[in-house]
Amino acid sequence: MIHSLINSLVRVRLIAGNTFLEAVRQKFFNALLLISVALVFSSHFFQQFDFGTGELKFITDFGFGALFFFGSILAVTSTTQLFFNEIDNRTALTMLAKPIFKLEFIAGKLLGAWLLMAVFVALLSLVLAGILYWRESALMLMASEAFVDGRLVRYGDIAVFALLQWVKFGMIAGISLLVASFAQTNLYTVVVSFFVLLVCQLQYIALEAYAGIESAFASLLVRGLAMVFPNFQLFNVGDQLVYDVETVLPLVTVCKITVYGLFYMLFFLGLAQLNFRRREI
Amino acid sequence: MPTPAIQIEHLTKDFPIGLRGVKLRAVDDLSLTIGDNQIYGLLGPNGSGKSTTLKIVLGLLKASAGSCHIFGQASFSVAARRSVGFLPEAPYFYRFLSGRELVRYYARVCGVARGRIKSQVDSVIDLVGMTEAADRRVGTYSKGMLQRIGLAQAIVHDPKLVILDEPTAGVDPLGSAAIADIIRELKRQGKTVLVSSHLLAQIEGLCDRVAILHRGKLVREGTIADLVETGNAESYVIEGLSPEGRKAVEASIAAHGAKLARVEKPKLSLDALFLAEVQRREAALSGESNERSAL
Repeated sequence: MIHSLINSLVRVRLIAGNTFLEAVRQKFFNALLLISVALVFSSHFFQQFDFGTGELKFITDFGFGALFFFGSILAVTSTTQLFFNEIDNRTALTMLAKPIFKLEFIAGKLLGAWLLMAVFVALLSLVLAGILYWRESALMLMASEAFVDGRLVRYGDIAVFALLQWVKFGMIAGISLLVASFAQTNLYTVVVSFFVLLVCQLQYIALEAYAGIESAFASLLVRGLAMVFPNFQLFNVGDQLVYDVETVLPLVTVCKITVYGLFYMLFFLGLAQLNFRRREI
Repeated sequence: MPTPAIQIEHLTKDFPIGLRGVKLRAVDDLSLTIGDNQIYGLLGPNGSGKSTTLKIVLGLLKASAGSCHIFGQASFSVAARRSVGFLPEAPYFYRFLSGRELVRYYARVCGVARGRIKSQVDSVIDLVGMTEAADRRVGTYSKGMLQRIGLAQAIVHDPKLVILDEPTAGVDPLGSAAIADIIRELKRQGKTVLVSSHLLAQIEGLCDRVAILHRGKLVREGTIADLVETGNAESYVIEGLSPEGRKAVEASIAAHGAKLARVEKPKLSLDALFLAEVQRREAALSGESNERSAL
């Protein structure tokens, strides 16, 4: 039993590794990565749009925004493309004729896409941290009185934000894989996945709006839907990180959000497997 | 009685088309038994249900009715696929890997023991004649090379049953002959090979038994000799017979109560002629180059 579980994990790792290798060689990933890095790198040139906030805060918000925006695009499109490449090119046919379970195949695909997101998030976070460090050092020389207590930026928080965004991108990749498991085309999967992403991003508004609903049935329905669509607002913690010295995000909260994200990743993977096992290749 | 390599019983596969429950029957009540260590041909025109049958055997499609077993195990089980290698029609592999990396990757997916991977990969690459091109990226391969590397990935885990879907489609006669040689070698190694094809001339000299499908139904099944022999006629190939001699032969046949039905010139098939010419030129060229290097 344990032996076959280990073998199964080895196969998932192999498929994930191959998926990752395929993904990093795609022009789309490299182009998106370059654009994102260039945008974060050039953020301090956009300071006239900072709407009165400080330069460092502006760069941070700009970087976090770029990470979320491009990361979401990449999570949806790369997962979709990596899945449909296998179907359209019929490499899935060769692979699924091997002694592997369909669950291992799609788990490998999800893990490969998630690894890609790890590289994307790590690179963008490093660039953001580098820009912040450079600008903060320059500002320390120009206005040392503002830095009497040392540096203002908590660089470790960038890693925390990056971790949470990575988990969120894993959920988005899971959603895309679920849609792809029953969809027939790449385009349909991308459109529906973005729609679901939007619902997840805004579901907290619906929850607040329907909080006082009287009908038991409607209340149950809203709460049920809120459970199906994860609340992405939980991951928008940028304002509590990096600068805010009064409300530091507790480690327990970070862990809870991470577990919440991992649970939904597995949930979407399970649903994708239910569809995919019936799919005829 | 030994367990057959493949046992198909009353297999039927319907594909839904349209919204009104209309179905297309791709395979219709097919029953076949393929014995161990045979080269078995599944023949038929395009759309006759060959690929659908192979996909059901491989567990990639679910049968609408009937059953299929591989060495006694239900064909849709993962355990059954451990003893199967598969080369799909017009295979497409990960273009960014080299041939060797590709075969190695599939060897690992199939669970070949770490200590055996290198020797196993080298051995199958050698068997399919791809040693020289093994370190080139798959994206640069010709169709024939893709088929060969496809064959290598299909047999890298040493399966007892090898299933080849149109292995010679789009490949030139020279490449087809090489693939046929590999298939014969697989049989010599004790494997069962199931080949689907609509190129009948290539299959004729290769298979022990064949099944002919048409519109999903089994039309004929048996050994090639049984299927192609025509009644009680016999043919004699004679060289240098004079007109008088011919008259005497005809008279002798008539005296024995038989009749000469047809006289025709024996012909080479175009495939055989092409192969003979190419091999003759290759031999001549290699002789010339040996002479040049000796000088």
